[in-house]
Amino acid sequence: MMAENTSAAPLLEMRHIHKSFFGVKVLDDVSVSLHKGEVLALLGENGAGKSTLIKILNGDYTMDSGEIYLNGQHVQFHEPRDAEAHGIRMIYQELHYAPDLSVTENLLLSELPRGRGFPGRYIIDWRQAREIAQSRLKLLDLAIDPDVHMRDLPVVERQIVEIVKALSADAQIIVMDEPTAALTPPEVEMLFGIIRNLCAQGVAIIYISHRLDEIFEIADRVTILRDGQHVATKRVDEVKLASVVELMVGREIEARRKTLALTGQESQVVLEVQNLTKLGAYEDVSLKVHAGEIVGVFGLIGSGQLSLTRSIFGAERPDSGSILVDGRECTIRHPQDARNAGIGFVPVDRKVQSLIMGQSVRKNVTLSNWQRLARMGFFQQRIEKDHTRHWVDSLGIRMAGDMEVPIRFLSGGNQQKTVLARWLEANVRVLILNEPTWGVDVGARSDIYDQLEALAQSGLAILIVSSDIQEIMSVCPRILTIYRGRITAEFHRESVSKDELLAAAAGEAV
Amino acid sequence: MTTMESTAAAGSRPTGLRRFLRASEVQEVLALVIMLALIVLVMASNSNLFLSPRNIINLLMDSTTVGMIAVFTTMLMISRGLDLSVASTAAMCGVIIGTSQSTIGLWPGVMLALIAGALVGLINGFLVTFVGINPLITTLGMLSITRGLAFVFADGLTIPVFDLSGEHQATYTAFTQLAEGRLFDIPYPILVMSGLFILGIVLLRYTTYGRAMYVIGDNEDASFLAGLPVRRYRMIAYTLSGLSAAVAAVFLTSRLYAADPRAAPNIELTVITAVVLGGTSLAGGQGNLFGTLLGVLILSSLLNGLKLQSVSTELQNIAQGLVLLLAVGIDQVRQGKIDLGLWRLFRRQARASTQ
Amino acid sequence: MSNLISADPARLTPARRRKWLTDDTLTSLSLIVSFVVLCAFFASQTPFFLTQANLSTIASTIAIVGITAIGMTLVLITGGVDISVGSVAALSGVVTSLLWLEHGIPLGVSTVLGILAGALVGLLNGAIVTYLKINPLITTLATFSIIRGLAFVLSEGQTNLLSNEAFNFIGRGTVAGIPFSLLVMLALYLVFGFILRYTAFGRNLYAIGGSPQASRLAGIAVTRHLLIVYIISGLLAAFSGIINVSQLASSAPRAAVGLEFTVITAVVLGGTSLAGGKGTLIGTLIGVIILRTLDNGLVLMQVSSFYQDVARGFVLILAVGFDQIRLKLGQLQRSKGV
Repeated sequence: MMAENTSAAPLLEMRHIHKSFFGVKVLDDVSVSLHKGEVLALLGENGAGKSTLIKILNGDYTMDSGEIYLNGQHVQFHEPRDAEAHGIRMIYQELHYAPDLSVTENLLLSELPRGRGFPGRYIIDWRQAREIAQSRLKLLDLAIDPDVHMRDLPVVERQIVEIVKALSADAQIIVMDEPTAALTPPEVEMLFGIIRNLCAQGVAIIYISHRLDEIFEIADRVTILRDGQHVATKRVDEVKLASVVELMVGREIEARRKTLALTGQESQVVLEVQNLTKLGAYEDVSLKVHAGEIVGVFGLIGSGQLSLTRSIFGAERPDSGSILVDGRECTIRHPQDARNAGIGFVPVDRKVQSLIMGQSVRKNVTLSNWQRLARMGFFQQRIEKDHTRHWVDSLGIRMAGDMEVPIRFLSGGNQQKTVLARWLEANVRVLILNEPTWGVDVGARSDIYDQLEALAQSGLAILIVSSDIQEIMSVCPRILTIYRGRITAEFHRESVSKDELLAAAAGEAV
Repeated sequence: MTTMESTAAAGSRPTGLRRFLRASEVQEVLALVIMLALIVLVMASNSNLFLSPRNIINLLMDSTTVGMIAVFTTMLMISRGLDLSVASTAAMCGVIIGTSQSTIGLWPGVMLALIAGALVGLINGFLVTFVGINPLITTLGMLSITRGLAFVFADGLTIPVFDLSGEHQATYTAFTQLAEGRLFDIPYPILVMSGLFILGIVLLRYTTYGRAMYVIGDNEDASFLAGLPVRRYRMIAYTLSGLSAAVAAVFLTSRLYAADPRAAPNIELTVITAVVLGGTSLAGGQGNLFGTLLGVLILSSLLNGLKLQSVSTELQNIAQGLVLLLAVGIDQVRQGKIDLGLWRLFRRQARASTQ
Repeated sequence: MSNLISADPARLTPARRRKWLTDDTLTSLSLIVSFVVLCAFFASQTPFFLTQANLSTIASTIAIVGITAIGMTLVLITGGVDISVGSVAALSGVVTSLLWLEHGIPLGVSTVLGILAGALVGLLNGAIVTYLKINPLITTLATFSIIRGLAFVLSEGQTNLLSNEAFNFIGRGTVAGIPFSLLVMLALYLVFGFILRYTAFGRNLYAIGGSPQASRLAGIAVTRHLLIVYIISGLLAAFSGIINVSQLASSAPRAAVGLEFTVITAVVLGGTSLAGGKGTLIGTLIGVIILRTLDNGLVLMQVSSFYQDVARGFVLILAVGFDQIRLKLGQLQRSKGV
């Protein structure tokens, strides 16, 4: 839809942007341009300079040198307010809204319509407010009730309200930072519909996402940054996924060898779930994981797999069904019971659900193994250190300094390895991982996959739940699909195509 | 810079204070030591009495009630809890000792008081962890309940705790000895307080319970998903807090020869002031007992010094409030959390210079 | 677009509760029910409870807590707390009597200055919270001791008699048989209720409490709003202090001890959340009335006044506890998709 516009003068030009923090170059001569009505994807690994660039555009940071042109005019933004006055809007990854206020109020947060004169200009005209809110929602054909509290809306609708908020009449450019992180596939489709709708109205979008498949669906062009430098800008229809990844990472990523063979049914069943049911989340789920096996559960986000894994781990209570480890039925009411039964759990969101950010690598590694490291409640420090060192070495956890460095200073990939180390240290027999490479750089992913395969080969039973089809197909020899809380099919990696998997996960008859 | 230097200097095997504290905490503790030294200096230059052994003992005796409780409040606050009910609980426990004299006897009364204190803590813990009421509200409610119960049990009167009939001399002498007895010339309450601080430091540094406090205070969800019995640890922390109030009450009653339902007024605020002064954050996950000890000492030297100069209790309150604000304020500046408009000014100038 | 939405109707049209049955209304309803039960209980226990004399006693003694609670509600809505209100109430009385008795300043002016002293404390609280970014609990805990100490220092610990016909009217006068202080209180509830519901300022307070970040990004002057809220809290607490002095005909530095506790209990009872972003003045008003009725009923039943503290503590914990359990059950139901 864009072809004719790209030839016209760009809506936005950022030229030769330089920025350093404390002498470290974060942006080095980066230039970006954006045309009316297009979606430009901004790609790069963590630390490539994406967010710094966006913050400069938004007026949050001042650049060291460089120029910004908007509609051909030189502009300077000193504060976010300046950028906003020029029609540049940000939609942040974390949503910022007041949960106990209505949609109307959140939409019009600082600009609720008021009357005139005194005291009228202090008093909100609620009827007008609702009309404005309604008309803005209508602009995008949305059926959201403006009187509902934000708290009572599903996440996607909250996100959409945020987008609508960014869309006041003069919005020219909208920057979206990982807008789909919390959305289910149909919701992503809905969001894309809205983005296309916006572009048709002439708004330009800068789109940041870790999910490359999304980029290929929604973006017109991609700009790739690496280590603070502009690497390439290409039209999406002219590039391939592999070459984009290569440009991001700076080296060729080999297609993963699929080393792990399908484990025969001769090895022992370690984890068995029988008819597990939790109303409203998942129903009648049965599955087996053998020793030395990696089983993938593939489903679109929101298909009940999160609740299922949390239930196996004792963080949620199922309504019925049973869980067997080594053929023995376990009563699991609390994560503690699961750990004692030999089950480990790696949640999606490391920062919120696994890491103790203020504490050292050592304390994070040994967190689940206090029983064996402490005698009469006292830690045996030397043993603790030896164990930690062992895992740091064998998993190749890299950090600045020794194992006493707070974990918040580690990269995402190394943090994730620390979480793996925690469960290995706890000597679990089964490891359940939820989206194991969420927010991990493309380059560091294969490292984690290698570790998982090595662990499986040493006899661990691994259950991976993921919505990333490439991840599932590259590490899991046996794949189950889940749709609306039910296991719909079982496949062997060698004999299934991507399309078949997607179809099964979308609930279409196989 | 300093952080890096001190890490480097300490090498791979931390020694001395570094064994117990992180680099950033060492700085905090040093700042507190300087603050304490300044106060002592000022007070000593204003009054010859201040540094006399007798006054120092007095000063420390006055700090024991706050100190004993502060040890466990620190742990609680590290785990992101809060207990405002400690002072009223102490008063109630004192009254329980007082009223038990005529019924079950003095020492069983002491036992009963300790059990009652722990029970109050347990109930606080239950309400916070299982019912999910905000700790501030829970313990505010409990503050009211236990203070009320103290008055109800005592019928609003101060109950003398000494041998009225002369029949139980041995029992009462032993009880009075709790506060008056000395070992190496140091009164028992001071020894007990020191013991509790050492116990606390060891607990926080070496035991699973202590580490649980930090870990839970830092990230409760992650602790739960790592398989820690979070609720159990929280319950223990609240129970210990209640128990510490009861222990403080036993020594207070022994020292005053009386159980007063009005005892320990607003002590909960002094305790929190001392703990926060010592660098423990209300947001949980960080804090240490060296800081708390210094916080307790700073407050009691300040109040004692002012008392020696016959400054009224009320002015002492003012001083206490100011010290709290000052300490927390300085900490905020040091951590660079304060925006006094300087940054904006700086930016504006930078902008002007680039144009 | 429209066919996208209809693609998965189950996900995109969540079951919503009927609009009028919001959390706020539910809280108010359950409060009213418990109030009625409480009244019925006292009425059945003592014949004096429902007499006109007793009701006017309740009415005339409600204003101090009631007025202070307005400020506290605003502060809690922004996600803060103000522990210093009791001390501020004492200070305003002391300042007023000092200026009048010792400096001969006309009583009217002294009273206004006394109230302004409260506003000044509020400004101080607000400035520390916003500029020094110190936790509101810590801040007002500190000013709680500082201001109480100041009241003692200024009055030298003395209780001063203070009586003047016009001044007495503030706390003890009646208009058409209704206590003047009660009328003032109700007027303030109307005014602030209106402000919270219908003005941008009021709505901004909810936004700030709900998400300071969102408010800042939306261009709301968060700092200024917080300053104003703490000033209002100080102002209203000081005014309550004046009513107290007028009712007792004397000012004392020991006045209004524990007021902060009663007020926070009432406000939280009324459904305002300590987490900020949530709360109504109707709820607060009912909370205040319930607490006052409870105290009064216990006195009439000749329960020792010592039990009042116990009862208050229980009421606070029970009320919040039930609310919490109700919330949990509600979430459970919602997650089951009922």
